[in-house]
Amino acid sequence: MSNIDLSRVSVLVVEDSQFIRSLIVNSLRVMGVGSMQSVDDGAQAIDFIKLVDNDPMKAGMMSIDIIISDWEMSPVDGMMLLRWIRRHKDSPDRFIPFMMLTGYSEPKRVEDARTMGVNEFMSKPFTVNALADKLFAIINKPRQFVHTASYFGPDRRRRPVPIEGPDRRKLTYDSPEVEVVNG
Amino acid sequence: MVKVSVRYYRIKNKLREKTLGLAPVDDDQISFDDELMLKATAALEEMAEDYPDWVSGLIDQLADVHRRCVDTPEQRFQHFEQLHAIAHDMRGQGGTFGYPLISDFSDGLYDFTGVNTSTSDKNVEIIKAHIDAMRVVIKERISGDGGDLGSQLKTGLDAAIKKYA
Repeated sequence: MSNIDLSRVSVLVVEDSQFIRSLIVNSLRVMGVGSMQSVDDGAQAIDFIKLVDNDPMKAGMMSIDIIISDWEMSPVDGMMLLRWIRRHKDSPDRFIPFMMLTGYSEPKRVEDARTMGVNEFMSKPFTVNALADKLFAIINKPRQFVHTASYFGPDRRRRPVPIEGPDRRKLTYDSPEVEVVNG
Repeated sequence: MVKVSVRYYRIKNKLREKTLGLAPVDDDQISFDDELMLKATAALEEMAEDYPDWVSGLIDQLADVHRRCVDTPEQRFQHFEQLHAIAHDMRGQGGTFGYPLISDFSDGLYDFTGVNTSTSDKNVEIIKAHIDAMRVVIKERISGDGGDLGSQLKTGLDAAIKKYA
């Protein structure tokens, strides 16, 4: 068995509740995460992401590997932060894995977060096992990213699903309108 | 020349390299260290025990802002904003730590202190009823739905809202 070693991983935690933030940070620390920074809301997160990009020594973090963010925050909430990361021209890494935390897990919310390009969605109450499952998926089962006119984010098909009835998809990987970029 | 309308990006998985090294490993052979997971779970549970103390501090803050609503009514709009922010911090979390009634009452307070709410004396009383109900939940450590006592608290709060509304 190979154990996942998180000691070289850097995580940015974005959560406005000091209590919840300390729970997440402490759990990650005990799980062995090597480097962590926590901020109060999306605006602070954007500032920190830019700082890491421009001056990693000053930021105290050479890179950000994973972002774990609450949804409900003010003034910049988790969805606005995710939108900035995935779509803004100033975003230094549009592919960064993003885990959204929320106390509200209605299907509409999950769908909205998926549409915005979230990697993983975790509803509170959060447990260590749930956190580990989501980290496992990010580390070990990353999805290819898809860029279309209306979407940029991880492929929303996690696995091939057999199609019942006629296949109405117009494009395949071999279509001239489709480009696969390996990086 | 056909215009590309869909791009797939298959990026090298640096996180896997960072966490598992470069040697090939079968997916079903990968896991987190069981001992670390047990330690992390124990640490989380230990911290969760502090929830009533933490939320008591927030209830004290709510009570303090409520007092200021009474003492300085001309500044109620700002006070309501503060109440709204504190209630936001509390809602959605009580359930995590076994106190869903705190979530219910803070959710109600959050809605009630939104920007469109009147800052009338009556509404200040309704705010107080919310704070009092929360205080009872924590003082009596009413976890879960609280059974009869929980029902009484909810009924009492509803009655207070009707009385002052």
